[in-house]
Amino acid sequence: MSGDLSDVARLARVSKRLGGRSVLAELNLGIRAGEVTALLGPNGAGKTTSVSLLTGRIAPDAGTAEIFGLDPRRPAARRRLGVMLQSAGLPDVLTIGELLTLQSGYYIDPRPLDETLALAGLDDLADRRCSALSGGQARRVHYALAICGRPDLLVLDEPTAAMDRASARMLWGTVRTLADDGTAVLLTSHDLAEADALADRIVVMDAGRIAADDTPAALRARAGGSVIRCRSRLTPDRAATAPAVRDAGMDGADLRIVTADAAATVRALLDADTTLMDLRVADATLEDAIAALLVAQPERIAA
Amino acid sequence: MTALVAIPNGVWLREAVAELKRTSRLPQFLVPTVVTPAAFYGLFTLAVAKSPSPEYALATLAGYGVFAATGPALFGFGAGVAMEREQGLIELKRVSPMPAGAYVTAKLVAAVATTALALVLIDALAIVAGVRLSAASWAALTVLHLGSAIPFALIGFGMGMRMSGKGAVAVANAVFLGGSVLGGLWIPTVMLPGWMRTLGQMTPSYHLGQLARGIVGVDMLGSSFGHATAVAAMTAGGIIWAWSGWRRSPA
Repeated sequence: MSGDLSDVARLARVSKRLGGRSVLAELNLGIRAGEVTALLGPNGAGKTTSVSLLTGRIAPDAGTAEIFGLDPRRPAARRRLGVMLQSAGLPDVLTIGELLTLQSGYYIDPRPLDETLALAGLDDLADRRCSALSGGQARRVHYALAICGRPDLLVLDEPTAAMDRASARMLWGTVRTLADDGTAVLLTSHDLAEADALADRIVVMDAGRIAADDTPAALRARAGGSVIRCRSRLTPDRAATAPAVRDAGMDGADLRIVTADAAATVRALLDADTTLMDLRVADATLEDAIAALLVAQPERIAA
Repeated sequence: MTALVAIPNGVWLREAVAELKRTSRLPQFLVPTVVTPAAFYGLFTLAVAKSPSPEYALATLAGYGVFAATGPALFGFGAGVAMEREQGLIELKRVSPMPAGAYVTAKLVAAVATTALALVLIDALAIVAGVRLSAASWAALTVLHLGSAIPFALIGFGMGMRMSGKGAVAVANAVFLGGSVLGGLWIPTVMLPGWMRTLGQMTPSYHLGQLARGIVGVDMLGSSFGHATAVAAMTAGGIIWAWSGWRRSPA
């Protein structure tokens, strides 16, 4: 799958050390057109380094980083790339319109300014100076900068961090549309709901390696079908003997059970403990799935 | 895939225009940078000397014009680039398809434009003080003064890519004032102690100042060719310093 010729962007056997520490070790990753790929993982997993390599900010120590078959450090390669950075500023004294016009001018076939403004939800703000924006508005300007050139590869680094919910939903909608029109989208996120809602494919990174690479549905299925919570006298060890149980443990005062067949498990639990209370059953979430992948360190995913 | 190779028309021009707009909207940078050299020229040359001779006003004009070019170049580039880097603005440019040269050129255009404004004031003061030059000499002097911004801009850019905003301001000040004193832009080199003259010869300020003196026909130390060679060598070094700074991994 990785290294496929149809890949819009790829890292092939890439190793990178930063500050004396190995961040990526022989990583292979391919990004395909028309697909939203979400890169998830704890801090230090190598997400930002992977994005930096694909956007030409740094070069690999070994292996190849390519977009459209070219070194991303060449401006010509970046002419089909749009990037929304996580922590970049905006030039205070230019207006949004001036800034977007300048950025659009770097591309061969940019969107008209009005279309860019509309897609990013900035319709009335073209004449506003960048120094006079709220945090959420500034993030939308960064999004506009990323999409104004009609890029074939769109890289979004934590796009909805510091965005209000309405802006985030608007962004998800337009990203989905762009992907459906054939744009390759690479997304990093700490927001699992965002990844679940938006991504066609989720790549979970851990310690510079790929821990999983699958669709959100397949990842959820891997965690087991459902999560049962209840108050019960049963110990986790006793609960684990019920049919279809994959995992059982305590979560505060709750007994928490992951099961492949909620109905069968619940029936057995109720038989075993007639005082059982507060029974809740939910689908296993992506978070459950990823926590299971990042073995023994589930708290890191939320970092 | 020719579309990948072609650079969209007018990128460099639009970048320069945007940079000029930005500069014009930063009066707190523009006003001191434009007014200070003229104020120094007026104070130290014309006012202190009381009715100075046109010859004296001319000799000092040569040096103060170079001085006027160093400020916008060092502060606009050095401190300005360092602050833009700290604000993450350089990152924005680096991941965009903008050719790096367009950014540097735009900054240079803004520095030269700011220098031009400062020169208008200085040249006007010189004329008031009785300086008279042929049109050709004015033209040559102006080109040299404007061009003086280039080596300093390259030095400043390399600093800006390596230093914090505060650090760059401090170092820009040191280069700005040190270069001007040691390079004989304020006090003629012949009046400086020997060790300062020796140090001064390592600055572009000195060689540019001497070239300017050569243009206006007041006594120049050394040969024009020697000074021009030194300036060219320092500019080449500046290009390498600036380029390697841009290529550094973002901190």
